[in-house]
Amino acid sequence: MSDTPSHEPGKSIMPKWVRGPQDFIGGIALMAVAVFALWASSDLQGMHGFSFGAGTAPWMFATLLLGLGAAVAVMGLVQDGAAMQAFSWRGPLFVSLAILCFAVSIRPLGLIVSGLASFLISALGTPETRWIETIIVGVLLTIGCALLFPYVLGLPMPLFPSFIAQ
Amino acid sequence: MADLFHNLILGFGVAVSPTNLMLCLIGALVGTLVGVLPGIGTIATVAMLLPITFGLPPVGALIMLAGIYYGAQYGGSTTSILVNIPGEATSVVTTLDGFQMAKQGRAGPALAIAAIGSFIAGCAATVLIAVLGAPLTKLALAFGPAEYFSLMVLGLIFAVVLAKGSVLKAIAMIVLGLLLSMVGSDIETGASRMSFNIPELADGLGFATVAMGVFGFAEIIRNLDAGASMDRDLVQQKITGLMPTKKDMMDSLPAIGRGTVLGSILGILPGGGAVIASFAADTTEKKISKNPEKFGRGAIEGVAAPESANNAAAQTSFIPLLTLGIPPNAVMALMVGAMTIHGIVPGPQVMQKQPDLVWGMIASMWIGNLMLIIINLPMVGIWVRLLRVPYRLMFPSIVVFCAIGIYSINNAPVDVILAGAFGLLGYWLIKHDFEPAPLLLGMVLGPLMEENLRRALLISRGDWSVFITRPLSAVLIAAAVGLLVLAVLPALRKKRDEVFVESEG
Repeated sequence: MSDTPSHEPGKSIMPKWVRGPQDFIGGIALMAVAVFALWASSDLQGMHGFSFGAGTAPWMFATLLLGLGAAVAVMGLVQDGAAMQAFSWRGPLFVSLAILCFAVSIRPLGLIVSGLASFLISALGTPETRWIETIIVGVLLTIGCALLFPYVLGLPMPLFPSFIAQ
Repeated sequence: MADLFHNLILGFGVAVSPTNLMLCLIGALVGTLVGVLPGIGTIATVAMLLPITFGLPPVGALIMLAGIYYGAQYGGSTTSILVNIPGEATSVVTTLDGFQMAKQGRAGPALAIAAIGSFIAGCAATVLIAVLGAPLTKLALAFGPAEYFSLMVLGLIFAVVLAKGSVLKAIAMIVLGLLLSMVGSDIETGASRMSFNIPELADGLGFATVAMGVFGFAEIIRNLDAGASMDRDLVQQKITGLMPTKKDMMDSLPAIGRGTVLGSILGILPGGGAVIASFAADTTEKKISKNPEKFGRGAIEGVAAPESANNAAAQTSFIPLLTLGIPPNAVMALMVGAMTIHGIVPGPQVMQKQPDLVWGMIASMWIGNLMLIIINLPMVGIWVRLLRVPYRLMFPSIVVFCAIGIYSINNAPVDVILAGAFGLLGYWLIKHDFEPAPLLLGMVLGPLMEENLRRALLISRGDWSVFITRPLSAVLIAAAVGLLVLAVLPALRKKRDEVFVESEG
């Protein structure tokens, strides 16, 4: 997967000859993904005769992406384009943490603990959260999900922490 | 003709069973419920609700999903009319006149005409699907691997041409999607590709996971950027008088007709017809209207035409999926995912082997549209109240709901983490002005394209000219090249940009 590079928001760290930083960086990042994919699929068998090996299609698409990424980057050089947009950290950080928390804790701790914890963590993503109402809504939502998914929809998932359920 | 009626009767027989009616109703209701929430588009809605259909039998699951799809579409228009925030791309143009109507205290008629227009369009599109289904299936049987490959190239080019912004960047997104689809086991040799010995990657990236990340999580993160208290221009007036007047009906009926025709045609074309259909319908109305200056000031035609067009297109986009097995847009791609989970491989064989499934779904589309009219008009009040829920409470709920949804697909915590990673990727893409929809389409078509390319070249013994020497394939490739040339030609580019700029104004 591509690492999502985060750049300093707003500040023009780009040299003057980059006329469209948004496209320039975007293109470079795509090229990086392509190079990474080429490396990752380099151990796969290529064409033998006229039949495709496992690595042929990945090689084709990655090469194509490399070219297109380069083209996008070049467009960022020759054409005046949009500046970098500001990236904020609070929303992405806490939403990611909430997702991570859910993924890590659903098996050992069960839906009720894990769901509520993720709810509260993601609520940190905005400074506008009012905690009392957030906690009330979080508890209600967790109860709702605990009834909806395992019982109404019949999807198997642990509800309670495994050390209690045992 | 007799065949057609026979098929429709079979379809309605399946669709009106109490269970299926119930599922259709629940689907439409839940779809509207989620679709009404601003900032959640159709794709995210369908991806989010996919898991709730897993426990059902295949026919029921598809009927419910189709209901969710229309519900989400309709919910999106409700949001555009009442809050001036388009729930999704297809209802962007509806905001222009719809919100103005609402401000003038005519939210009721605007909502009603959107529903009525959608229903009429839905009826026409249902008939069209029924009529075109069988002959297109026969055509599909004449398709060899070369033709399939060329058709998919054409579809992807369509998606590029119809996407907003730079053609080059849209192509780059498609190729990125194709590349992502390569992760996992190779279907022919079984070799594991780019999966780094992570067992969960051996099966490839699930596109429900990617869709939820790129469309669900990324949207949430982006919305948080703007501050959770999004500028919500919610109409404060009480909504009175739902029914449109006689004059409203007279004004909008021709617009509905034109929108339906335009939408039905654009929907069949692969590559995301519903969005462009609504734009095109609105532009047409402006062009042929005797007093175009009333558009943007609450003209009822400005609601009727795009709403009928996007609904017609949403339905006819099932045609390429059901007959050729090729999803024409990202929502249909999710439908393929749902079908695969139930062990159905969409394509010409399904029409012949499981007619009850296909025709049941087609019939349920019509029923679903009827239900939307019946349930939505009286429930407008509830939707309005839902719109008043502040975003600061809504977004954590969506995060948790999505996380549970993704987890339940495979019971795999890794999927949840992957979706989170794709959320960050999606956020980054938005910041760099890359459109995520072509990426998803590329991802779905990737394995199909590879397989058909391989077969075509194997049959031709490595001769690449097979794509232009077989007549049907040559026509498709020529159309794709022609479209691409047209799209980068300066004159048309300007036109195309105008359409999109207008929609943002």
